[in-house]
Amino acid sequence: MSAAAARPLVTVQSLESDMATDGAAANSVPLPDVMRAAIRPDIVTFVHGQISKNARQPYAVSNRAGHQTSAESWGTGRAVSRIPRVAGGGTHRAGQGAFGNMCRGGRMFAPTKIWRRWHRQVNVTQKRHAVVSAIAASAVPSLVLARGHKIEEVPELPLVVSDAAEAVEKTSAALKVLKQIGAHPDAEKAKDSQAIRAGKGKARNRRYVSRKGPLVVYGNEGAKLVKAFRNIPGVEIAHVSRLNLLKLAPGGHLGRFVIWTKYAFEKLDSIYGTFDKVSEKKNGYVLPRAKMINADLARIINSDEVQSVVKPIKKEVKKAPLKKNPLKNLNVMLKLNPYAKAAKRMALLAEAQRVKAKQDKLDKKRKPITKIITYFCCLSMHLRFWVYLYFIGSLLLVSQSRASLMQPGWKLPCPVYLSHSVICLLQEEASAINSASKSWYKTMISDSDYTEFENFTKWLGASQ
Amino acid sequence: MAEKVGQIVPESVLKKQKREEEWALVKKQEVAALKEKKAANRKLIYNRAKDYAKEYAAQERELIQLKREARLKGGFYVNPEAKLLFIIRIRGINAMHPTTKKILQLLRLRQIFNGVFLKVNKATVNMLHRVEPYVTFGYPNLKSVRELIYKRGFGKVNKQRIALTDNSIIEQTLGKHGIICIEDLIHEILTVGPHFKEANNFLWPFQLSAPLGGLERKRNHYVEGGDAGNREDYINELIRRMN
Repeated sequence: MSAAAARPLVTVQSLESDMATDGAAANSVPLPDVMRAAIRPDIVTFVHGQISKNARQPYAVSNRAGHQTSAESWGTGRAVSRIPRVAGGGTHRAGQGAFGNMCRGGRMFAPTKIWRRWHRQVNVTQKRHAVVSAIAASAVPSLVLARGHKIEEVPELPLVVSDAAEAVEKTSAALKVLKQIGAHPDAEKAKDSQAIRAGKGKARNRRYVSRKGPLVVYGNEGAKLVKAFRNIPGVEIAHVSRLNLLKLAPGGHLGRFVIWTKYAFEKLDSIYGTFDKVSEKKNGYVLPRAKMINADLARIINSDEVQSVVKPIKKEVKKAPLKKNPLKNLNVMLKLNPYAKAAKRMALLAEAQRVKAKQDKLDKKRKPITKIITYFCCLSMHLRFWVYLYFIGSLLLVSQSRASLMQPGWKLPCPVYLSHSVICLLQEEASAINSASKSWYKTMISDSDYTEFENFTKWLGASQ
Repeated sequence: MAEKVGQIVPESVLKKQKREEEWALVKKQEVAALKEKKAANRKLIYNRAKDYAKEYAAQERELIQLKREARLKGGFYVNPEAKLLFIIRIRGINAMHPTTKKILQLLRLRQIFNGVFLKVNKATVNMLHRVEPYVTFGYPNLKSVRELIYKRGFGKVNKQRIALTDNSIIEQTLGKHGIICIEDLIHEILTVGPHFKEANNFLWPFQLSAPLGGLERKRNHYVEGGDAGNREDYINELIRRMN
């Protein structure tokens, strides 16, 4: 349904009775603009609903029904309800309730009136738009099929038949025409579907129902075709200038199977006008414009113009990750601060070092003298005595001058000379013990929790 | 129109294939570029973090050294006044004077046990004076700032409270001030830097837990044995219990 510049051609189906004057296989007629108008099922449903109310005959209950008594309420105090009761006596009817809608023989609630608004007004333009939509829908095969017509054997939609069809006089000939153009299955369907109506309608002069067949539209007044086609069950006839929405969209459903004669088809342009031209027959009427000229959304989206500026599809939706505590989770910490690993490693090493240093310091202060004792023990008793003496002597001398001790030639009154290494060892041990005790004394106070040690040293005048 | 054996591939399909290829290529290039940038960034972040660690250690040592020097000479070393405050709201929302309510709103302390960092200047100090009974505040140390930002740090991105799970979140908002990673942010907050305002405002007010071990007495000032008001360095101990 695009506003194409060129108008597509519809071939006219020829009948046997046609004089093959042109010689060409088929004439063709350009498609009138009506058939390219917007199809609006909403307008059609509305208008059809309104218009179908216009053929109604009023119904109502009798004016006097239920009031043809002189009933009066007995009032209170008689052990009966207060509904008006029929006066008089001598019959069943006496004393019975009357007037109310709940009473037997009483008037109904809200008796139906004839002055109910039976007919409906519809704006002329709306009615015209609806007809235009219905005509356009009749040119769409899927809609016609959906409505239920048997058009499988129809050569083309819209189906245009040569003018010879308008001259058909006999119904048998009309049937032949239908068969020639492939419309017979639809008419047959209508004939086969004749049945008695279900429901009360059958007793109300609406006994039979059947499906709708093709609608034959002709262009010339007084064409013989009317009389020929009208008795075929299911087939309806209409003049092109008097197209009825109730026939074009029966039940409010678009897509009636329409058979146009060539003359009628050509008249459509002048009756309804084109998109640019005002209609000749309908004063000031122009065909309705569609909301979207190109309603093929898929085609628009996939067109080059749109796709060239479109961004790529975002297939992965980023979800916020669960927050993990970096102070506890190393990997998360490293993501935020890559230096953390190095820092942690350095801190661990530094701590280990600190611990080790402290331990060493303490060990040095508290070291027991194991070396000399073991050596001592492996000496003979005699030697042990002298070593012991030497040892004590060195301890006594150590406070004076260390230098004098370094002379290994310190003679013992005994001819036994202690070896150089042994003497050095002894000297080493002695000095170690001395320094250890000194430092212990020094730190004795600061190691304790004497908080004003700094001030204390000041008073003492001792330097650190 | 390509003609496969017995099959015709519609033009639209071909076009779509081509488009997808182009997009995939562009995306791959983008990803590669991003990866490179990230790698370069990481090196930068590593070096910055190292420098900061050195800086903090140097600051500590300097302080100790100055103190010792002064002691040696017989004088005293007075710390410079703190530049950074951490405020925690300790009272609920009912029955408040509208002015103090407004001040607490301005400080972004809308909920009990909300915490914010604050620069110290005449204006803020006066504000704090007005809301003293409702808050407790003090001078946070490096450990407090680090732990708060790492554990409970959320940023204001597009007016939303987004967890600081990646440095890119910080870079997105504060990149233009030169703050590209969480260590930068911590440094800016701790040493109240030139872009403290932006960095602090980026941080959503910290939603802390109720303190383990409890508060002493909310209704009194800290100096009276309660909890409100300025508790200087002891705020750190409270933060340990609330973080």
